[in-house]
Amino acid sequence: MGIRGLLALIFFGTLALAVGFMYGLVSFLKERLFELFPPELWPQADTALQILVLYGMAALVTFTAILLILVFLLMSSLIVRPLDGIIKAMIAFSKEDAKLPLPDTKGTPREIRQLASVYGELVDRVEQVHRHDVEISRIKSDFISTAAHQLRTPLTGIRWALEALEKEDLTESQKALVLNAKEKGKDLVDTVGTLLDITSIESGKHKYDFTLLSMEELITEVANDFAQLAAQSKVSLYYAKSEQPLPTVRADRGRIKWILNNLFENAIRYTPAGGTVRVMADAGDKYVRVKVIDTGIGIEEKDRANIFQRFYRAGNAVTKQNQGNGLGLYISRTIASDHGGDLNFSTNENGPGTTFTLSLPLPR
Amino acid sequence: MTDTKFILVVEDDPILKNLLGHTFAGKYQTLYASDGNEALALFEQYKPSLVLLDLMLPTVGGFEVLQAIRARADEAKSTPVIIVSNLGQESDMEKAMGMGANDYLVKAEVEIEEIVKKIEATLGAVPAPPVAPQATV
Repeated sequence: MGIRGLLALIFFGTLALAVGFMYGLVSFLKERLFELFPPELWPQADTALQILVLYGMAALVTFTAILLILVFLLMSSLIVRPLDGIIKAMIAFSKEDAKLPLPDTKGTPREIRQLASVYGELVDRVEQVHRHDVEISRIKSDFISTAAHQLRTPLTGIRWALEALEKEDLTESQKALVLNAKEKGKDLVDTVGTLLDITSIESGKHKYDFTLLSMEELITEVANDFAQLAAQSKVSLYYAKSEQPLPTVRADRGRIKWILNNLFENAIRYTPAGGTVRVMADAGDKYVRVKVIDTGIGIEEKDRANIFQRFYRAGNAVTKQNQGNGLGLYISRTIASDHGGDLNFSTNENGPGTTFTLSLPLPR
Repeated sequence: MTDTKFILVVEDDPILKNLLGHTFAGKYQTLYASDGNEALALFEQYKPSLVLLDLMLPTVGGFEVLQAIRARADEAKSTPVIIVSNLGQESDMEKAMGMGANDYLVKAEVEIEEIVKKIEATLGAVPAPPVAPQATV
């Protein structure tokens, strides 16, 4: 109930009380007063009393009503309207990031003035922090872009020199060495590319290359890529294909593969030897869902709300064996939601481990 | 002499320039410029058939060179320009393509062979004249 409703309630309550009081008074008078008069005067007294009651009641109701309406109007303009204005400004700021002017609080009670001024300061603080964030993120983006350029230039020299060297008259073992160096050079170039991609995805400026994509084919490819790591970690990794073929989704193949790589790698890394990582995919009305189900160490209660935060690493994830930068899940979820999908997880109900679910929307 | 096709390579890093030269030698008549001013002067003088253009250059940058070429009044304004730069942000690529570049290669991500293929494709696979102009002296 709003303040106006509350006032109206008090208004009618007071009126009812006043009227009740009058009635009580009149019946008291009737009982006690009439005994003083001789019975033949009773009808006359009754009429007089009724007139008294009528006038008294009318005066009382009018007076109370005028008073209460005045209070109502006063409260309305001094408290309710400024409060409404402040609340509207708050909603606009929190929902739409719009900064509405605050209502004029001159002459309103101190608490309202304080509320308005404290809220104004709060908005300024939030905006300041936001500007700072934007600035930091721009500087970071510029820095990474420059660093990437600085890394790429020498890498170009190394790669091109190796390419030229490869064409020379080399022995078989020399050729093999050059090939190794070329491969590693390419890895390094890819890492720089990933770094740039992450930066642009994070800043929300990434341009995705959407194509029609068979998730079955992509999952199979990723599962094959991770077969070796799974074998090394003594984790059995398998992809249980659904009976019905999956519909294609419209997605950026490279980025979705990147998400799957992260999910597969995490699942294998955090699953102790002897465990399993099972991958399933199915299609609903609106989404294709890929589930990566592990029997790993799980995610502790206190970490669950945070694992999609950037740079966050769960307490039990930080060990020497389990390296990571804490960006994987954050970027993965960003990519998924940029596709109109989602990335989420749940703790397995039967037995240990975690299930990560990637949903991608079906093309409309 | 009139049908000699020149390729103008604009690259400020001397080592990368040498490596490109190593592969291009015997394939194309190449001119090298290491900054934007030099590139524009050579362009004016030789009217090359194709320009390989780096973007991060001392003095006048690659974007300005591209702009100057596309703003020409003569037919040289439509000379194919392939950007070969280590600036790999999408914004850079879009900017260059928007300004009329014919192609954009991220230097670190391509082998010289791929650059050669692009050149061939852009020139319509016209074989370059095998004799250097100096050879006639």
